[in-house]
Amino acid sequence: MSLSTKEYFVKETFKSIRRNQLMSFASVSTVALSLLVLGLFLLMVMNANNLAKYLESQVQISVYMEDSASNDNLAAAAKSLKAMPGVVKVTSVNKAEALAKFKKRLGDQNRLLDALGEENPFPYSFDVQVDKPERIAEIVPKIDEMKGVETAKFGQEVVEHMFRLTRLLRLGGIVLVVLLAMATLFIISNTIRITVFARRREVSIMKYVGATNWFIRWPFLLEGMFLGFAGALVASLVLIQMYVALQDKIYSTLAFFPLIPAWPFLGYLSLFLIVTGTAIGAAGSSIPLRKFLDV
Amino acid sequence: MLLMKGISKTYPSGAVALRNVDIHIKPGEFVFVVGPSGAGKSTFIKMLFKEVVPTTGQLFVDGVNVMSLKPEEIPFLRRQLGIIFQDYRLLNDRTVYDNIAFAMQVIETPYRQIKRRVAAVLDLVGLRSRAGDYPGELSGGEQQRVAIARAIVNDPLLVIADEPTGNLDPETSMDIMKIFSQINDSGTTIVMATHDKTIVDIMEKRVIAIEDGYIVRDDAKGVYGYEPEH
Repeated sequence: MSLSTKEYFVKETFKSIRRNQLMSFASVSTVALSLLVLGLFLLMVMNANNLAKYLESQVQISVYMEDSASNDNLAAAAKSLKAMPGVVKVTSVNKAEALAKFKKRLGDQNRLLDALGEENPFPYSFDVQVDKPERIAEIVPKIDEMKGVETAKFGQEVVEHMFRLTRLLRLGGIVLVVLLAMATLFIISNTIRITVFARRREVSIMKYVGATNWFIRWPFLLEGMFLGFAGALVASLVLIQMYVALQDKIYSTLAFFPLIPAWPFLGYLSLFLIVTGTAIGAAGSSIPLRKFLDV
Repeated sequence: MLLMKGISKTYPSGAVALRNVDIHIKPGEFVFVVGPSGAGKSTFIKMLFKEVVPTTGQLFVDGVNVMSLKPEEIPFLRRQLGIIFQDYRLLNDRTVYDNIAFAMQVIETPYRQIKRRVAAVLDLVGLRSRAGDYPGELSGGEQQRVAIARAIVNDPLLVIADEPTGNLDPETSMDIMKIFSQINDSGTTIVMATHDKTIVDIMEKRVIAIEDGYIVRDDAKGVYGYEPEH
């Protein structure tokens, strides 16, 4: 394909979009809206998954010690924890380590911790891993009674709930996304149908002077792809704004909620949406073209 | 240049347009195709660029077996042909220059070559000074001249014209025929379907008459042979 031909395709594409402003706008809006919903679902499902995984890793028992516990108390607690039936591993987490871990999870929001000054509110704790989840229920009350222990926590039930919710979200999301993709396909193919119809004279002349079908197809295909791309771009920008705002909100109120960090997560998501949008645009424009090219 | 052997065409509706047609047109010939409306002229013309496919028979254009062309090969057949219609079929939102250049652009001719060649055909049809005008600003005869320029810009072996003077007054028609003569003189074969008695009789070229799907006449220096319809 020569340079002047490529130039011709691009010129024709944008001429057609300009000529067809209202329909083009409608197409871009529909794509944007559909992909926005798709993106929102992906954000929700992936965060729910992330949360579930996080909570699952918490199936280990976290044993928080009282601040007043002495080193002797801590050593004794560690010893008796290890001696308990079913316990496979006991990891101690000192106050400084707990703070560092939390800081890491906050990511670029870790300035929030500046408010604490020199103080470290995190207690000394043990992460206790057991061989079987069923054992947790019998072990936890025993730990709670030990000397120097503030509380022992585990998250099995929550995890099961989360996984159920994720499954539901995923299913509802897939159904909705398929419907929206079809609507988008329909709108784009209609826009291109109108474009092709408006230019049927041009197309028939092109056929008479010996243009190949691909030569005729390209500008329309590019138009569909551009509409899909533009819609996806709008959707991505809105999603990024929303997610970043949500993240700020969550870190300022629910700092313990394990939200997936914005970057590079949103980058991948935007890339996915843009590829999807462009592909839908290409597919949408090939539908009417098949029919019209049959001269 | 053009060879038809036993060509017949029956449309799905059952209408028979051509019956067992045998024709041989040599390179450089100028051929009129005449006959009453609905006799099969249009079908005859449309077969030459494979818009209509014969039901039976063999059709060769410049040695190419048109019947066995795959759909993706048809554009390359059409690049050997220049096609002209009664209604000009120009793009009204493009200038005269762009209408002609369009035919070269779509077969991906380099830009510089387009510029040179369009100027040459504009000279041939006498419209160089109108290059920047839009079709709506031209008379019918001028529009048809643009259409002719577009048809010959890619240097076709065969020019196919379907009633090119059908919308024009006699004087303008004669001007148009002069351009066709010039094109023919340069060696291009011309096949023209027409209802125009005057031009057929004046030109004294080969005339093929079709009636009810049959070739009823094929004279080397023929006449129109029908009463004028309009």
